[in-house]
Amino acid sequence: MAEQGVIRLESLTKSYGKVVALDGVDLAVRAGEMVTLVGPSGSGKSTILRLIAGLDRPDRGRVVVDGQDVARVPPHRRAVAMVFQDYALYPHLTVRGNLLFGLRVRRVRRAEAEDRARAAADRLGIADLLDRYPDETSGGQRQRIALARALLREPTVYLLDEPLASLDAPLRFATRADLLTLHRELGTTTIHVTHDQAEAMTLGDRVVVLDHGRVRQIGPPQQVYDEPADTFVAGFLGSPPMNLVPGGGVLGGGTDLTLGVRPEDLRLDPDGPVATTVEAVEALGSEAILLTRCDDGTRLTVRTGPRPGVWPGDQVRLRADPGRIHRFDADTGRRR
Amino acid sequence: MSTGRTSRPLTAWAFLAPYAVAVALLIALPALLNLGYAFTDHTGLTRDPRFTGLANVRRLLADDFLVDSVRASAIHVALAVPLRLLAAIGLGLLLAAPRPGGRWFRVAVYLPTVVPDVALAVLFLWVLNPLYGPLNQLLGLVGHPGMNWLAEPGSARVAVALMLAFPIGEGFIVVLAARRMLDGRLYEAAALEGCGPIGQLRRLTLPLLAPVLVLLAVRDTILTLQVNFVPAYVLTDGRPANATLYLPVYIFDQVFEFSGFAYGAMITSVLMVVTGVIITALLLMVRRWRVLR
Repeated sequence: MAEQGVIRLESLTKSYGKVVALDGVDLAVRAGEMVTLVGPSGSGKSTILRLIAGLDRPDRGRVVVDGQDVARVPPHRRAVAMVFQDYALYPHLTVRGNLLFGLRVRRVRRAEAEDRARAAADRLGIADLLDRYPDETSGGQRQRIALARALLREPTVYLLDEPLASLDAPLRFATRADLLTLHRELGTTTIHVTHDQAEAMTLGDRVVVLDHGRVRQIGPPQQVYDEPADTFVAGFLGSPPMNLVPGGGVLGGGTDLTLGVRPEDLRLDPDGPVATTVEAVEALGSEAILLTRCDDGTRLTVRTGPRPGVWPGDQVRLRADPGRIHRFDADTGRRR
Repeated sequence: MSTGRTSRPLTAWAFLAPYAVAVALLIALPALLNLGYAFTDHTGLTRDPRFTGLANVRRLLADDFLVDSVRASAIHVALAVPLRLLAAIGLGLLLAAPRPGGRWFRVAVYLPTVVPDVALAVLFLWVLNPLYGPLNQLLGLVGHPGMNWLAEPGSARVAVALMLAFPIGEGFIVVLAARRMLDGRLYEAAALEGCGPIGQLRRLTLPLLAPVLVLLAVRDTILTLQVNFVPAYVLTDGRPANATLYLPVYIFDQVFEFSGFAYGAMITSVLMVVTGVIITALLLMVRRWRVLR
């Protein structure tokens, strides 16, 4: 049982017309692991889910689930359940009808199907919605209905395509915790797609950063954040993004390097080596973001505590934490 | 806000007014006049009509031709409406998916709708010709001796319904458009749950299209009761044995050939009642089957 849900993607390649969605993706997911695919739109995250689910066929490469190449296995014979971004609830069926849909197709006995649907609804706290239609429920409720429907598949792998994207911010925060709890309870392999920084950092055992159909880095979220493999990952993960200075510039260093420093690793220091001018101050309540510009035009973003006491137009000096300066190759962008 | 709220119904009525006036003048008023004429001896040719009480009703109740005519219309609806709906829905769903050359098939399906009724009917006179018509030649390919289509009551009814199975463009377009508006993700979700093409048609497409299909059925019933005039007139002139003496044909005969303007008005009222009854039955069936939410 514990060994179910092992997924291996081997040089997976997929094009839609002239658009290359995936370009040789290798990825190994362990049983019970929760992996987050993150990247800008068009980076191929959803394509990976679709290939694992069997909704599309790869041009080249293999999808191996539990040691078996699933190229010739139709979607419904793969033990995967997918939750779509917009949930894809059947609008003409009640919540109960939505939950029973798959069970009916698979000819599960009526009484048993009703019991299982009710159990799934109870688990996700939507038992009182069973007689409503999807358009009579809220966004958060719909997401739970979709999850309950996935639960009833009893899959060995869950595929979640931006499950939180349609929710508003407070709900997203709460649902994120619920998703983690559910995953811990079920212990089922889960692959989760997002373009949201916070989700990528919090929701996965490992995060896979994708760009233009290629894997840029795989690792535990904090490790990827602390040691980005290249300038793309450095700029993509983290908000506001890492300051990247080609040639080192105000941060010093050689011309063959691009230096990077995260906004929280820069601090105001009257004796600091970097002279700059504050252009804007974004007060976020618990912290403040300073947008600054140096004489040579380099823009640096600084994260400070709340109420930093500086104003647009002020001349300030900055000091970077020397241990937290990232060095990237100026040509390839790879970490050095 | 408050002024907007009070003036809104007035604005709505102002926009509706031209249509409302037209409906009143061109539809409601003539319908009422028609009902009035039904109780007179009006011929449409001579002196002013005179009120004759229930004379036309008595004539109606004793009219064997009317019985034939109502039967012909009912059988025609039972044949043509399912046939036309099946063709429109089947072709609409079949050709909704984008595929190479699809647009030419869609054009081909719509084309007969553009052909004038009379031209189509004349074309069908040739198609149905027992000696050299292509339909009998096709039947000959499978060893059937062919039929004298327009000479037998049964086959004549089928022949007219067959001809009307071709001008289905509007219904076809509506189904096509409605199917294309359905969310593709629903089908992917269903496929993941093991729902094959037949299951998807039964569990997704048809229930999701149900409101459109009911609308089409109602519309096609009304249409089929009325637009069968041209084919019947050109193909069979109501014959053989009154098998295609549909109500519009019989009304035309009475009004313009026998100068029975008043009696024609009476039968027109019957046609309206028959239409109303069939539509009501259809809607009751829809409610009973819980096709709509």
